[in-house]
Amino acid sequence: MATTITKTETLVGKRIRRKEDPRLITGTATYVDDIQMPGMHYAAILRSPHAAARIRSIRVGPALEHPGVVAVFTGKDVEGIGPVPCGASLPGLRVPYHSVLARDRVYFVGHPVAVVVARDRYIARDAVDRIEVDYEPLPAVSDPEKALEPGAPAVHPEWPDNIAFTYHQEAGDVDKAFAEAEVVVKQRIVSQRLIPTALETRGVVADWRSGERSLTIYSSTQIPHLMRTLVAQALGLPENRLRVVAPEVGGGFGSKLNVYAEEILMGFVAMKIGKPIKWIESRRENFLCTIHGRGHVDYFEIAGKRDGTILGLKLKLIQDLGAYHQLLTPAIPTLSVLMMPGIYRFRNIRADIIGVFTNCVPTDAYRGAGRPEATHGIERMVDMLAAEIGMDPAEIRFKNFVRPEEFPYETPTGLSYDTGNYAGALEKALEVAGYRQLREEQKKARQEGRLMGIGISTYGEICAFGPSPATPAGGWESATVRVEPTGKVTVLTGASPHGQGEETTFAQIVCDELGVDMDDVVVQHGDTAVVPYGIGTFGSRATAVGGTAVYYALQALKEKIKKFGATLLESDDVSFSGGVCVCNQTGRSVSLAEIAAASYRAAKLPPGTEPGLVSTYFWEPPNFTFPFGAHIVVTEVDRETGAVEIKRYVAVDDCGKVINPMLVDGQVHGGVAQGLGQALYEQAVYDENGQLVTGELTDYAIPKATMVPRIETAHTETPTPVNPLGIKGVGEAGTIACSPAVVNSVVDALSPLGVRHIDMPLTPEKLWRLIHKGGQA
Amino acid sequence: MRISGAYTLPADPERAYTLLQDPEALAASMPGCRELVRTAEDEYEMKMNLVISSIQGLFAGKIRVADKEFPARFRLIVEGDGKIGFMKGEGVLTLSPVDGATEVRYDGEVQVGGMIAGVGQRLLDATAKYLIKRFFEKMREWACHE
Repeated sequence: MATTITKTETLVGKRIRRKEDPRLITGTATYVDDIQMPGMHYAAILRSPHAAARIRSIRVGPALEHPGVVAVFTGKDVEGIGPVPCGASLPGLRVPYHSVLARDRVYFVGHPVAVVVARDRYIARDAVDRIEVDYEPLPAVSDPEKALEPGAPAVHPEWPDNIAFTYHQEAGDVDKAFAEAEVVVKQRIVSQRLIPTALETRGVVADWRSGERSLTIYSSTQIPHLMRTLVAQALGLPENRLRVVAPEVGGGFGSKLNVYAEEILMGFVAMKIGKPIKWIESRRENFLCTIHGRGHVDYFEIAGKRDGTILGLKLKLIQDLGAYHQLLTPAIPTLSVLMMPGIYRFRNIRADIIGVFTNCVPTDAYRGAGRPEATHGIERMVDMLAAEIGMDPAEIRFKNFVRPEEFPYETPTGLSYDTGNYAGALEKALEVAGYRQLREEQKKARQEGRLMGIGISTYGEICAFGPSPATPAGGWESATVRVEPTGKVTVLTGASPHGQGEETTFAQIVCDELGVDMDDVVVQHGDTAVVPYGIGTFGSRATAVGGTAVYYALQALKEKIKKFGATLLESDDVSFSGGVCVCNQTGRSVSLAEIAAASYRAAKLPPGTEPGLVSTYFWEPPNFTFPFGAHIVVTEVDRETGAVEIKRYVAVDDCGKVINPMLVDGQVHGGVAQGLGQALYEQAVYDENGQLVTGELTDYAIPKATMVPRIETAHTETPTPVNPLGIKGVGEAGTIACSPAVVNSVVDALSPLGVRHIDMPLTPEKLWRLIHKGGQA
Repeated sequence: MRISGAYTLPADPERAYTLLQDPEALAASMPGCRELVRTAEDEYEMKMNLVISSIQGLFAGKIRVADKEFPARFRLIVEGDGKIGFMKGEGVLTLSPVDGATEVRYDGEVQVGGMIAGVGQRLLDATAKYLIKRFFEKMREWACHE
């Protein structure tokens, strides 16, 4: 046997640079739009300029006559295809038929009406303008509260009340809590519509091989396998004849946790024309037609005692659904209800959701998906209660936190929080921020007439989606680990990461278990022809669920490695660690590469063992995980301009065990940037006729690098028992924690003027008006 | 969007009223107007090139005059669409004599849709004001020269 070196260094917990970054930062990654195929054709989509209209007629002739145009398809060509699927179900849910192209009506601006197929994309785009559609405009409604008023235009004529569903959840004795309350605070809180704005817009390439009767769809998606199942159904194609590939995906944030009309449509077109077809969404289309996030109007009432004890919380939640249900649309506000008690001990809750149709693009999951809205609500209400009774916002939180000894903690909404030390996280944040000192500075600032604010937000979140019974399509994840004959390791994950860095973190897990180097591991994902069925990346699940599947696949693989090692070493007493199998009696050893070679050569198979070193594991999590943390934001508002300056941003996040602190920091930074976007800048605005007036990036402000402050990150580490790695997930933490911390801070800054609440985004204009009208909005 | 304002034309109300409904004068005065034809009593068809923000395109539309009260007021109903979207508007023009000239007050509502709404709405107010100003300046020249 050759000399072997045992590897002792472990990688989990270390700041390892991302394996994916070289290709991303050198522009050598392959996105959907980079895919070229011989004979490829291009599609452009004609979209409705009206929020509501009847289609009297469509004349496609002038487009068809345009040189280079191959085909034009309208609603009547796609009868029998679709519908665009809704995967969520609720009792009594009204589900409008969501055809892939409009039939006799359009329901929102951007609704696809026809698709033009041409030899190049410019011809396709030009020909779109030659289609003549005779619309009869109808009254539209874009505001969910107005949609509920009697006599409002009906989005879907069959449901004149515009109500898609109502949902009620109640626990404890809410009426008693409010009757016994010494203080009740009520507030209407809006979580405005947001546009997810992934750096890469959506795009689809479809390739039909008629000889093999097989279709391949390349799509910028978070969920290739679910898409395969759903698109195959929509096209009436056997699922094993469809392959879905998610190549490099330039951000999703939930907006690509979906199946859209275009994926079905491009599959249909490819099969019709017998040529590969490409459609790339423009930024304007992305704003009009890809799901939006949030869209809540929440009426909160909190009951408490003068000593700061919270007794109960009521919520009436009006969810702007848009015109249709996309994949998870109606389920998102139910997550808000699950999360509504936050991390506090009170037991009395009552929530009523009204899901409302509007003539707008559907809302759906956007980073945090229901939990940011809930956290914003409870964290604002706790602050308002504190202000009402003259208590410090940190103190009221300490008083009401679920305590470390109470875990697992059953929430009144039916969740079982795994582990937590909420007070610990807040203490750490107060310490990093220098809270007492900050309050002194604030006193001084106020004496000088400066508007300085300190805002706290403590949050919990539901991550690692999730146990299958609690999810619409299964909450497990798959992993295959394969040691190739040369000892190199290939990992296949059903989670379909798209920027989160699992090619790195999963490799770290593999390195520690198998004793190989980072360069020896390749993580593959996103291709249904390569990877066993998986669920995808969303809900902060990829590492906590997908990584755990990798871990379990590795444990089975290690047993097999030991069997082959034992055979090679001719001993029953062997151990495997650091990439080396050692005979405990003789000290002789074989390397993993030698074992791998022997396993495929298969000249000497251990009894009852298959050749090769391959292990697949489907892991079903027993519960969600519940990360938590505390963010503190110091702001100063300029009296003259109303502009908010973030002076300090302290983020303490506890996501359980950390595999790679650098990636965790990256997730927190990105999450905070998007939270700041909601708090200060972003708002999708529809006018009263259902026209999206924030139709491009000049009108829709997302934070730029210079607008994001330095973020002081710190962590506490409370492992979860839900998975053997102890990891909880961190993808959405920053977004969830950030917006209430910023708003609490700015409200604190303006509180001397009598301000008690401000709805997002906190634009300079809004704040200037508050300052100059003495606190009256 | 609400549009209102006033402009003075150097003509008496009777002449101003006539000019404001004269296809030739209108065609010459409307910025970007390519074509304006009378299709019926008090009805016109118009083609105009509209430039707003980063987009421009040809609009085809109809103009209708209603509620005529010579020479004091009339109602204007405009509807048009093109590749860059659509617009609908309705307004009242009120004419009153001022020192030998005529003050024309306009007051109306305009609704836009499609790409103009999504991309140009931010600049719509300013663009509308600019177009109206150019229109009245041309109208004034027309009134002086004829």
